[in-house]
Amino acid sequence: MLDMLAGLVEGTAFALWAARDPLAYPVANMVHLLGLVMLVGGIGLLDLRLAGAFRAIAVVPLAAAVTPVAVAGLLLLVASGTVLFAADAAALARSQTFSLKLVVLGLGLGNALLFRLWWQKRLPAWDTDAPLTGRLMAMGSLLLWLGVAGLGRWIAYS
Amino acid sequence: MRKVLIGAVLALLPVAAASAHHGWSAYDATLVLTVKAPLQALSWGNPHGSAKVKWQNAEWDVILAPVTRMEARGLSKDMVSNGQTVTLIGYPRADGSREMRIERVIVGDRTIELR
Repeated sequence: MLDMLAGLVEGTAFALWAARDPLAYPVANMVHLLGLVMLVGGIGLLDLRLAGAFRAIAVVPLAAAVTPVAVAGLLLLVASGTVLFAADAAALARSQTFSLKLVVLGLGLGNALLFRLWWQKRLPAWDTDAPLTGRLMAMGSLLLWLGVAGLGRWIAYS
Repeated sequence: MRKVLIGAVLALLPVAAASAHHGWSAYDATLVLTVKAPLQALSWGNPHGSAKVKWQNAEWDVILAPVTRMEARGLSKDMVSNGQTVTLIGYPRADGSREMRIERVIVGDRTIELR
């Protein structure tokens, strides 16, 4: 499936720009890192609070403050990641690490959507009554996003 | 949900290394290759430049550096294209495949470090 995607991307004007413009790739790399900092810095803090840390901070205002930062980070990651993939599509399509990264990314997104679906309405009561499954999902969220980040970095070394 | 979490944790365990690694550790730095030849199929692009070179009756993949690094150190595309002979000093892949990563390039009387 990835090699199909690589086949579609390769040779397009976008892919040629991504690889040949001297600055496109390094700048996309920086934006990718910025997006990661915003995503994990935002949602990771909320995950820790939801899991049970920093109980002096109320969950609802914290969620309202950091979720938009995390979503903006995710959008930056997807946009810059598209440039990084286009520049090196054939090699990435062959990389098991990259495939695994996408799987863990899917788990992270699925976990986030499920959390919203199941627990959004329970957030106001979280400060006094945090459900165990919800706390585990929050820890899972943090581990999954760190896993995606780690696997992303590992692509270059595998 | 717990099964998902356990699966996720397992997924984070160290993964089997694939073969596309261009980091220095994938190359055998004890075997220094010096190749005098023109570069063919030059790709002046990111994440790193690449080319092919004929050496010892075989075709080798040549891994260069990111474009901005090469240009910042004074190596331009024009200096290594048009079939001009250059001297490449680099290392072969430790796994034995015909790919070399270049430590420095000598063009005329100029030496450009790529690391």
